Amino acid sequence: MENSSDASSPLAGLRVFELGIAIAAPNCGQKLASYGADVFKVESLGNLDVVRLLGSAWAKDDPEMSRILSDTSPYLPEMNAGKYSVGIDLKNEEGLKVALRLLAQCDVFLSNISAAAVVRLGLDYEAVKQINPNIIYTQLPGFGSDPELPYYHSLAWGPNQSPLVGLDSLTGFAEDPPAGVATTAPPDYMSSLHALVAILAGLEHRDKTGRGVHVDLSQFEATISLLGPFLLDLDVNGREQTRIGNASIWGAPQGVYPSCEPERWIAITADDADSWQALQELASPWLDSDLFLSERDRVENAQTLDQALSDWTSKFSSDDLAARLQSAGVAAHIVATNEDILNDNHVVNSDFYKVAPSTRLGRDLFTGSAIRLSEAPSRVRNAAPSLGEDTREVLTKFVDIGPEEFEELLAAESIFEMAEPDLTFKRPWDDWIHILIPGSEDARDLT
Amino acid sequence: MTQPYSGLRILDLTGIAGAYGTRLFASLGAEVIKLEATGGSPVRQLAPFLENAPDRERSLWWTYLAMGTKSVVLDPISQRDSLQTLIESCDVIFDDQLPEASKLSEFSISPKTIRVSVTPFGLSGSKRSWKSSDLVAWAASGVLYTTGFLDRPPVAPGGPSQLILHATALNAIAGAQIALRMRKQTGLGQNVDISMQEVGLSLAPETGLPMLLDDRVHRARTGNRRDLGRPFGLYPCSDGYVSIVVLMPMHWEAMAKWIHEETDNDTILEDVFRDPSVRTETKDLLDTWTEELTINKSRLELFEEGQSRGIPITPVNTISALANDRHLAASGYWETVELPTGASARIPGAPFRTNQNWWITARSPFLGEHTNEFIQ
Repeated sequence: MENSSDASSPLAGLRVFELGIAIAAPNCGQKLASYGADVFKVESLGNLDVVRLLGSAWAKDDPEMSRILSDTSPYLPEMNAGKYSVGIDLKNEEGLKVALRLLAQCDVFLSNISAAAVVRLGLDYEAVKQINPNIIYTQLPGFGSDPELPYYHSLAWGPNQSPLVGLDSLTGFAEDPPAGVATTAPPDYMSSLHALVAILAGLEHRDKTGRGVHVDLSQFEATISLLGPFLLDLDVNGREQTRIGNASIWGAPQGVYPSCEPERWIAITADDADSWQALQELASPWLDSDLFLSERDRVENAQTLDQALSDWTSKFSSDDLAARLQSAGVAAHIVATNEDILNDNHVVNSDFYKVAPSTRLGRDLFTGSAIRLSEAPSRVRNAAPSLGEDTREVLTKFVDIGPEEFEELLAAESIFEMAEPDLTFKRPWDDWIHILIPGSEDARDLT
Repeated sequence: MTQPYSGLRILDLTGIAGAYGTRLFASLGAEVIKLEATGGSPVRQLAPFLENAPDRERSLWWTYLAMGTKSVVLDPISQRDSLQTLIESCDVIFDDQLPEASKLSEFSISPKTIRVSVTPFGLSGSKRSWKSSDLVAWAASGVLYTTGFLDRPPVAPGGPSQLILHATALNAIAGAQIALRMRKQTGLGQNVDISMQEVGLSLAPETGLPMLLDDRVHRARTGNRRDLGRPFGLYPCSDGYVSIVVLMPMHWEAMAKWIHEETDNDTILEDVFRDPSVRTETKDLLDTWTEELTINKSRLELFEEGQSRGIPITPVNTISALANDRHLAASGYWETVELPTGASARIPGAPFRTNQNWWITARSPFLGEHTNEFIQ
C-alpha cells in the first residue's frame, strides 16, 4: 500500500489514534490526514460510527450490497478520507491491550465520544498517560471531562448543540419562532477546528518541553467562545442580542431579496458608505429617497429600504444581478442551492472537491480542505477506509504484532478485519463525478 | 513560562475574518502585532460599543477579538524603514487583501515568512475579486438556502454572530500552524490561501454536493423541525423553546411515557408510534401532543426532567441564558478582561483547557499603544 507521507507533507510521520463518532473528532482527524499524518480510526463492530449507517439508498435493496453497507455511505469519506480503519473490540480485554499497544506508538489521541465512555473503556487521560506520557491527548465531548460539573451526564446529540450554545435562538426573523440551524451542525465543526488548533499547538509544546498535554475541549464552551462580543454587550451594556433575520448590526441594507423567479434569492450586503453608493447608483432611481441619505437614515428606515430594494431586485434574475452588483463593488451572491454550486465554475474549477482511490468502490468523492497550502496541497491515500480494512497492516507495521499473534487475536474476536474484501462495486453515480471534478473521467487509475 | 507559540511574531492586517485566529495565537504565546492605519482597524468601528459610545477604543468586537495583541501605527512612506524592518521580522503575516492590493505589496518579505490570506472567494478563480460578508458567504455555501422556514426567505445561520468569518479565522490559524510545522523541515515559508466560500462549503458536507449526487434530493428549508422522526427539533415552552431529538427507540419510549404521564394521553403509548417513520407521517399530531407537554413547563424544567428521564432534550439558549448558565458558572469558564475605561468585564474564557497552562488573557491594545517599540 502506498504511503502518503513524503517531504511535502507537513505532518508526515505523525501518528493519530482516533476514537471518533460522526463529525467533531473525525473531521479533525481527516484534516490531519490531509497534511500527511497517519490517522488510525479505531472502530468496534458493536458501536459503529453513525456515518457508516447513513445514505446509500441505492445499496439497501441489494442483498449482496447490504453485507457491506457500512462501507458505502457517502458520508464516510466526507469525514474519514485518508484514514486507516483498525478493527478492535475495545470492550474485549485483549482488544483493549492491543489498543493500548497501538496508543503507545502514537503522538496524538483524538476522541469525541462521551467523557464517561472513555473512562469506562479505560482510555481516559490518566490511563493513556501511563503507557504514553508524552501523548497529545485531545478529547472533545459535549461538556468537558470533569465529572463534577452539572451537565457531565447530559445527552446532547449533534442537533442539540446548536440550540444549547445560542446559535439557534439567534437564527430567524424577529417576529418568527427561532428557525434554528437545522441542516448543518456548526458546534461540531467549530469544535473540530479548535481541536485542530490545540493539537498543532501541542506539537510545538512537545518540541519545546518534551512533554505531552491533556487538551480538554468542551464543545459547549468552545463554540460559545465565538459569541464573546454579544456576551460582553450583555455584561457591560445590559443589552441582549437577539435574532434579527438577515439584517446587519452595522448598517443597512443587508438581506436576502427576491428575484424575478420563484424561490431564487439574492443575498446583498451594502452596510457601509462605499457599497451603498455603488448600490444606489446601480439601482437608480429605485433607491433615490430622502429617507436613505445618511447611514443613520438607512438604519432607521431599514424596512422601507428593504422593500424598495426588493422591488428593484425582483425585476432581475438572481445570477445576472449578482454579477452586476459585484462588478459595481457590492457584496452579493445568489442564495445558492447545491445544484447551483454544481454549476458554479468558480467552485468546480478550483480543485476543491476531491476524488481518491477506494478499495470497495474503485474511487470515491469527498469535500476537500479549505486550508490551501502553496507548498503542501492536501492529499490522501484513499477516499475512506472500509470497516477494518487496515487492521492487519497497522497492527503488524506500527505495532510489533506478529502473524501468529494476529491470527490468535482474530480468532478470539479481539480484533477484526474487513468483511468480504473481494466484494467491489461501482457507485451508480460514479460517472457523474466528473461534473464536480473536471478531468476525473480520465482518472480511473488514480495511483 | 513557555507557551506553545512564545517567540513567534505575527503581523495581522485582517478584520474579523482573521481576528479570532490571531487572538488564539496571542493567547497561546505569540506576539501578535495589529498593523493599523492612522484611523484604526476597521474592527474598531464596529458596534456594539462600551456604554454605547461610538469610539475607536470602545468597540466590543475589538475588546474581545484583539485581546493580547499589540497595536502599531507606522506610516508607509515617512516610516518606511521601520515598517520594512518589522515586516521582515515576522514569522507569519495575516492579510485579507489580494496580493496586488495588499498594503505590503511595496515591501520585501522574508522567504521564511508564512503569508496567510483570508479572502471572500480565494486567491484564484473567476470570483477572486468578488466581495463578501458573513451573509454572502453563507449564500455562496449552500447553507443559507436550507436555513429557515419554507414560507419565509432563507435566513442566516447564527444571525449576526459572524460564524463563517470566525470559522475562516480558525482555518487561517490552523493553516499557519501547519505551515510552521513544515518550516521546521524546510526553513521556508509559504502561502496559505483561505476562501470564505470554501470555509462555508467545508462546514456543511453532510448536506453538500456528494450527498446530492448520492440521493438526487433537492435540499429545501425544513423550518426548525426535521423529518427524521418526531419529536425532532424546537418546541415552544413557557419561557422560550427547547430542542428535542428523539431518534433512538429508548428515547421514544421515555418521551411517550412522559407525555402520557403529564397529559393523560393514552394513544401515544400505542405500538404503532414506535416506528419513527410513522411518527414522521403523523408529525402534526405528534407535534401537538409534544407541545401539550412542553408549553406549560420552563426550559430548565424540561431540560432537567427530560434528561433525568434519559431523553436528549436541551434548552434553546439565549445570550442571557448562557450568561446565567449553571454549568458554565461551575466550570470556571468565565474570565475577566480590563476595559479601555479601566473597569473590567466578564468574557468567555479559553475555548479548551490544558493541564499545561497555555492560555494567556490580556486586554486589547489602544490605537498605536506599541508603536514606539517598533520605531528605529
